[in-house]
Amino acid sequence: MNIDLLVPLFAAAVVSGTPLLYATLGELCTEKTGVLNLGVEGVMLVGCLAAFVTARLTGSPWLAFAAAGLAGGLFASLHGVVCLVFQGNQVVSGLALTLLGTGLANYLGTGLVGQAAPGFAPLPIPGLAGIPVLGPILFAHDPLVYLSFLLPPLFWLFFTKTRPGLHLRAAGEFPGAATAAGLNAVACRWVGVVVGGFFMGLGGAYLSLAYTHLWTNNLTAGRGWIAVALVIFAFWRPGRAAFGAYLFGGIMALQLRLQAAGTTLPSSLLLMLPYVLTVAVLVFSAGRRRTAPAPAALGTNIEPPA
Amino acid sequence: MLRVVRRPASPGWRGALVVSGSALLALAGSLLLLGVQGVSPLAGLKVLVLGAFGSAWAIEDCLLKAIPLFLCSLGVAVAFRLQIWNIGAEGQFALGAIGATWVALSLPGLPKVVLLPLMIMAACLAGGLWGLIPAILRQRLGASEIIVTLMGNYIAILLLEFLVYGVWKDPSGFPMTPAFADAALLGTIGTTSVNWGLVHCLVLGAAVWVLFRFSRIGYELRACGDNVRAARYAGLPYDRLALLVMALGGGLAGWAGCIEASASLGRLQPSIMAGYGYTAIVVAWLARLSPLYIGLSAFLLAALRVGVEHLQLDLQVPAAFGSIIEGLILLTVLAGSFFLTYRLVPARRP
Amino acid sequence: MRIIVLCIMLLVAPTACLSLAAERELKVGFIYVSPVGDAGWSHAHEQARQAIEAMDGVSTSYVEAVAEGPDSERVIQTMARKRSDLIFATSFGYMDSMLKVARQFPNTVFMHCSGFKTAANMGNYFGRIYQPRYLSGMVAGAMSKTGVLGYVAAFPIPEVIRGINAFTLGARSVNPQATVRVVWTKTWYDPAKEKEAAKSLLDVGADVIAQHQDSPGPQEAAQERGVYSIGYNTDMSRFAPKAHLTAPVWNWTPYYRQVVEQVQKGTWKPSSDWPGLAEGVVDLAPFGPMVPPAVRERVQAKRAEIVAGRERIFTGPIADQAGTVRIPAGAVAADQELLGMNWFVQGVVGTTE
Repeated sequence: MNIDLLVPLFAAAVVSGTPLLYATLGELCTEKTGVLNLGVEGVMLVGCLAAFVTARLTGSPWLAFAAAGLAGGLFASLHGVVCLVFQGNQVVSGLALTLLGTGLANYLGTGLVGQAAPGFAPLPIPGLAGIPVLGPILFAHDPLVYLSFLLPPLFWLFFTKTRPGLHLRAAGEFPGAATAAGLNAVACRWVGVVVGGFFMGLGGAYLSLAYTHLWTNNLTAGRGWIAVALVIFAFWRPGRAAFGAYLFGGIMALQLRLQAAGTTLPSSLLLMLPYVLTVAVLVFSAGRRRTAPAPAALGTNIEPPA
Repeated sequence: MLRVVRRPASPGWRGALVVSGSALLALAGSLLLLGVQGVSPLAGLKVLVLGAFGSAWAIEDCLLKAIPLFLCSLGVAVAFRLQIWNIGAEGQFALGAIGATWVALSLPGLPKVVLLPLMIMAACLAGGLWGLIPAILRQRLGASEIIVTLMGNYIAILLLEFLVYGVWKDPSGFPMTPAFADAALLGTIGTTSVNWGLVHCLVLGAAVWVLFRFSRIGYELRACGDNVRAARYAGLPYDRLALLVMALGGGLAGWAGCIEASASLGRLQPSIMAGYGYTAIVVAWLARLSPLYIGLSAFLLAALRVGVEHLQLDLQVPAAFGSIIEGLILLTVLAGSFFLTYRLVPARRP
Repeated sequence: MRIIVLCIMLLVAPTACLSLAAERELKVGFIYVSPVGDAGWSHAHEQARQAIEAMDGVSTSYVEAVAEGPDSERVIQTMARKRSDLIFATSFGYMDSMLKVARQFPNTVFMHCSGFKTAANMGNYFGRIYQPRYLSGMVAGAMSKTGVLGYVAAFPIPEVIRGINAFTLGARSVNPQATVRVVWTKTWYDPAKEKEAAKSLLDVGADVIAQHQDSPGPQEAAQERGVYSIGYNTDMSRFAPKAHLTAPVWNWTPYYRQVVEQVQKGTWKPSSDWPGLAEGVVDLAPFGPMVPPAVRERVQAKRAEIVAGRERIFTGPIADQAGTVRIPAGAVAADQELLGMNWFVQGVVGTTE
């Protein structure tokens, strides 16, 4: 493969990885407070539809983008209700959220299949887009991509350098001790769940506002699940999450480009690449770590006070 | 104000009450949603119930759908009991179908009495393997079985496609295997349309129940399920049990795949995948992971699927409605189960 | 008690006879593999269904997004049980299910689209969409500057392969150096993946994108890059007005009308029908404003030849990718050969798997 094919591939990796990045950061936010939300796929799809509908109704892509986040946060709060209030099993609740979210979005969106919505168009940054190699890869995309560039450093700053961020992490690591120290761990988890849902919704919105301007059933096509895996791959660190998202975006784009370049490999095998890579990545990250970077209380509910 | 207090006793009959109540609540909520489509909830309920139970052939349809659902749920429940989240029933189902197909296509000349058992064995081995791999990765490397089984689903379906588009493609050029020889087809019971898989389900269900209740492994599984750390300290072979339940679960889902390929389709094609592996999780949870109730739960959720098909046919309700009901049922049961473990008492004044 | 029942029966019986004597409407059922709003395959069938609904003495119903396999068998069965007289199943994967059900309901007529099995009460039908695909290939070949055409393909099945071949033959009739690069998405409607596939083709130098899927994703990709595209199923110009050259489109109304009339009159017989441009079942969408008159005339002339039966498209000598001659000089490929086509003609870059 020569440079002529690599540059568009990396550019496609950035675009393809952007919805993954939003969703992964959302799940990361939720997991850092100790809540496992496997419903990312459902939340993303709900956000995706919300964005599409809002864009068609109002004609404003930015309003639609915000609406998707709100819808995502709202929908994810169901998970909060079931797990944080009713002590429901977090794994099963997440799965239920996926079922409900995808069902709800597909159901409500049935009449919209085949319609288009006003969305975002690519907006090359004048000057920067002209830089050879880096220009097309980083600076010739739509505004949502540029927005997503800001998120990993912001998340890192928040979770490592700010007091609220540390409180949220405490709820995920030592909720018992945190509560004893006067922190409302459950409230922290609520923040994690809702804000996480907000970003997952944004990830879904990217698909119907920028990646395409269309809607169909299951437009997210499993990206939510990859996001869950990416959080583990990222060792719960925002910077690595970005790397993982673009890596997977690249793989998803690669298999199509290999076909276009004329490979004779059967397409079914090529399509397996993202999933096989996810497993490989899990195996390697699991094997190599010495200390568990996962939030210690991830997945376990906080017992109501006796 | 109210306070939350843990209940000391185990749920017993209250469990069934809470589950049924929650499920009915979810159903009612979903039917209200029909209003969005301009369909009356009552009309929807009527179509749903009559469609699923209103005639002999409707019941047969329910049974037909319940068979693969039952087997997949059995496998899922066995793993869930150990807090091992087997989301891979879908992929294990696919591998089972692939295994059975391989036998059916390679040895068509054998008599049914030999061929069918061979197919089932191949299906169980293939499905079992697909369940074992995530288990090994989990126990040896701590890799999340949630992700690995899920990815396994996608990979399995692509593997199926690879085979039917490639080496197993029918001469007509379409993505399916050639039709199986008659000897490879699982027949129907008498004049009904229900296949012998029903009997398989009864036998396997009974076997798993006996295993749980009366065998040493069953005892160990129950002990481990309650508290993994304590069980380990007590010397129970958690690792081996983990591998066992995943292999068992995979084998059961694989058996279901064999039945679907052999009895329902008579060949292998991508449309064999009907989401049974995911609905199985709802079934298992509704049955509170008890093999005894999985039969009932599977039948009810199969009936739901049949009813939803009639909703599509009669009232033009989109197919996604079924997922909404399933998701809502699961959420309400989860929330409702709160009242099995806790109760609300008036708070003591300080 | 018995007297009451007798009275009721006496009252009900005459009314029952009256309704039996009245003209019984023909109940026609349609089964779609995807949602009808997809602006594509199912949408085209749905439009025809609406036209049929307007016919006298006909009532229709439909079910959309029915998964192929055992589920479809149950849906077809239920439709038949509800006394449907005529059922159309519009996807290949419904074939075996329909055959099974047809055996159980000898009084209902079953019509299967894009398959090849028939029975005493079951026929199959399809349309020669490869004819307008050939024409669209001519347009693409004429409008392309690089001579590289990109084809976003759905599934490696004969109808898709046939379409790609016809497209390539058409393009090469205008530009013998043209090549067609193929990317399989294994989807019928996934705008995200299909748009990405189109982009990957654009990245390797394609400047006209054609597709076999139902979503306008590839059209969007072409418009964003400022190149041209060929739609499919329906006129997709509203999604990409600057890019959309034309599209091969379906029009099932004349054919469905014909079948319904046959069943109404009792003259229906099982057959394998394969109508084309001449019968109006397939056509080419109107040209976009960017297509110059010279190209339009050439394509229209060729269209007339196809309608008249003079141009059969798959006329030899046609060689495959490896150079082996598959259709010898002077021969025309038989329908059977076309229906099972699993090889690419020369000029196509890609695999058939």
